[in-house]
Amino acid sequence: MLRTVKPKNARSKRALEARAPKEVEDPRTAIFVKGTHTGELLNNVMKELMALKRPHAVSFSKKNAIHPFDENSASLASVEFWGTKNDASMFLFGHSTKKRPNGLTFIRLYDGKVLDMVEVGVEKWVSMADFKGPKSTPGNKPLMHFASDLFDTHPRFMQLKSMLMAFFNAEVIDSICLPGIEHVISVSLAPTPASLNNASLTSLQQDSKPDELPTVHIRTYMVKMLASGTRIPRVELTPMGPFLDVSLRRHQPPDPEMLKQAMKRPKLKKQDVEKGLGKKRKNVEVDEMGDLRGRIHVGTQDLSKLQTRKMKGLKPGSDEIGDDEDGPERKRRKA
Amino acid sequence: MDVSNILASHAAKFQTTNVEKDIAIEVDPGYLTTADFNSIDEESYKWNLEEHLQSLARDGTQALINALFSLPTASSPEGPIAQLPPPTTELPRAKPLPKPKPPTKWELFAAAKGIQKKKKEKKEWDEERQEWVDRWGKDGKNKQVEEQWLTEVPHNANIDHDPRKTAREERKARVAKNEKQRLQNLARAAETTPQESRKRDIERTLVQARTSTASMGRFDKQLEGEKKPRGIKRKFNPTETSADDERKASLALLTRMESDDKKMRKESPREGNIVNVRKAVRHASKGEGAIALARKGEDGKKRKGRR
Repeated sequence: MLRTVKPKNARSKRALEARAPKEVEDPRTAIFVKGTHTGELLNNVMKELMALKRPHAVSFSKKNAIHPFDENSASLASVEFWGTKNDASMFLFGHSTKKRPNGLTFIRLYDGKVLDMVEVGVEKWVSMADFKGPKSTPGNKPLMHFASDLFDTHPRFMQLKSMLMAFFNAEVIDSICLPGIEHVISVSLAPTPASLNNASLTSLQQDSKPDELPTVHIRTYMVKMLASGTRIPRVELTPMGPFLDVSLRRHQPPDPEMLKQAMKRPKLKKQDVEKGLGKKRKNVEVDEMGDLRGRIHVGTQDLSKLQTRKMKGLKPGSDEIGDDEDGPERKRRKA
Repeated sequence: MDVSNILASHAAKFQTTNVEKDIAIEVDPGYLTTADFNSIDEESYKWNLEEHLQSLARDGTQALINALFSLPTASSPEGPIAQLPPPTTELPRAKPLPKPKPPTKWELFAAAKGIQKKKKEKKEWDEERQEWVDRWGKDGKNKQVEEQWLTEVPHNANIDHDPRKTAREERKARVAKNEKQRLQNLARAAETTPQESRKRDIERTLVQARTSTASMGRFDKQLEGEKKPRGIKRKFNPTETSADDERKASLALLTRMESDDKKMRKESPREGNIVNVRKAVRHASKGEGAIALARKGEDGKKRKGRR
C-alpha cells in the first residue's frame, strides 16, 4: 500500500491534513471506472452521472480489467489502491458482458477498504440532451426522493438507498440557500410483487431472486417554486434528465464488524455547548424554541421568618404583654 | 357580503402546498432527502409511468420543501438561508473518526490538578515605550535584558559578570528545555504497547546476532523461512582519500585498540602476583566479603579494650 509519509514542507503538510480523517466529513469523491467493455450506452450513462456528481468526481479514461465480484481476482485490491491514491471513497464501475449487459457497480469504501457493493443493470436510458429546458448548475446540491415501501423493509433496497444517498448527497451541511435549490433526484420502484409483499418474513430473505425484485426508476427533475399565497412555495417539476431504469443484480453486503466501525458517530459538539460546554450542568435544558430553561430547587421555607402584614396592634411595645419571643428583650432596652 | 368565493380560492391556493399520504412522508432535512414508504399504486404505474413517477416525485419534493421552508432562516442577499438540523439518516462514514491528540505531560498534570488553561496574548505592554511589543521573536520582550544599553549589576557580582551573557544563556536554556520536553512528549505519544516494543527488541537482536559471526553472516546456514534483513545497506568508503584523512582514521583506530573501555576480556593478573586476593578474602571471611571481615576485626579489638 501507500507509504505513510511525514510531510517535508508546509504544502505537503496541508495536503496530508486535507486527507486526514475529519469529524464532519467532506463529500465523497467518486471515481468512474470503465471495465474491459462498456458500450455506448454505458459510456453515456457514466458521463451524465458524472455531470451530476461533479466536482467530486474523477474519471478514469482507460479500460481496466477488474471484476469486483470475483473474489479470486485482485480487483478489489486495485480498487482500494485507487481509492487511497485519489482520496476517493466511492466508485462507479461500468462493465458490459454478454451475460450481464450494461452493468453498473457502485462500490463504497471505508478507511480505504471496500465496505459494500451493489450491481445494477441499465435497462432504459434517456439522456439529459433529450430534454429541453434548463439544467442544474454543476456542483449544486440535489434534493433526493425515495418512494416505495421496500426502501423501509427490504435489505437490498435499503442498501441501494444508503448507497445512492452516499453517492449524491452524503455531505453534512449546516445551512442551505432556499432559492438555490435546483433539482431533485427521485428514486422510485415498480409496484411491489406479491412474493415480496404478502409476508414480511420472505422479504427479509437477502437472496430473493433478482427477477423478483422490482425495477428501479431513477429520474432527475428541475424544481420550480411557484408562489402559493403562503410562505411555502408550490413545487412543480420539469424533467431534466438523465432518466434511468435499472434492475438490481449482484451485491455484496457490508461486513458487520466494518459497518459497526463505519457507523461510529462523533460526540455531538453543538448539543454539548447548549448543555454547558461539555460539563454536566444539572437542571438546565434547551427547549424546542432554543430557550434556556432551568429548574430551581428551593429548600423548605422557614415560615417563622415570614414577613406578614404589619399591623399596629401586633407591634412589640404597643402591648405590655408581648406574645413573641423577642418582646421582653426590646422592653428591657426601652426601659 | 359573500366572501365564500374568496375564501374558497384562498383555500385552493393554500391546499396546493399540502401533501396528503396514507403514511406520512419521512423527511430528513439534514441530508435534503425524503422517503415515501407508501406502497406504489399499480394502476397509475401501469397507466402512465412517467406521469406517475413525476407526481410521486412532486409530492415528495413538496414535503421536503415544506420542511425546509419551515426551518429557522437567516437572511442573505441571495435569499433566505435555512439552518439545517443534523441529519437523522445514518450513513457509514468514509474514514474513521479522528484520533484525539495524545496529551502532553503538562496537560496530564494540569488535568489532575484542575489547572485551567490560560490564553497568553502574543503581545505584551511595554511601560517604557508605551506600546504593545511581541512577547518573543524579533524585538521580543524576552530579549529586553540582552538588548538594553544599561543593566544593573548586583553588588556581589564577579569581576567577569556579564549580565547580557547570563540573560542570553538563561533564555537559550529555557528554549532548549522546552524543545527537550517537546521531544519527550512526542516519544511518549509514539510509545507502543509492551508486546510491540518487545517484538521490536527481539527483531533488532536477531539482526545483530546474524551479523555477529566471523563471516558477518555471509556463510551462515539459512534457516527455513528466514527472511533477508530489511533496511540494511552496505556502505563503502571511497577507495581514494586524502593522506590526511587516512592518517587520522588510522590513528583513531589505533587509539581505540589501545584503550580499555571497549575491551571484552580483561587482562589476566600479572605473573608476579600469585595470590588471588579476592579469592583469599572470600575464603577468610567465609564468603561474607571484605567489609564484614574488617568489621569483625574491629569488634574483636573493642571487646579486648573493654575487658
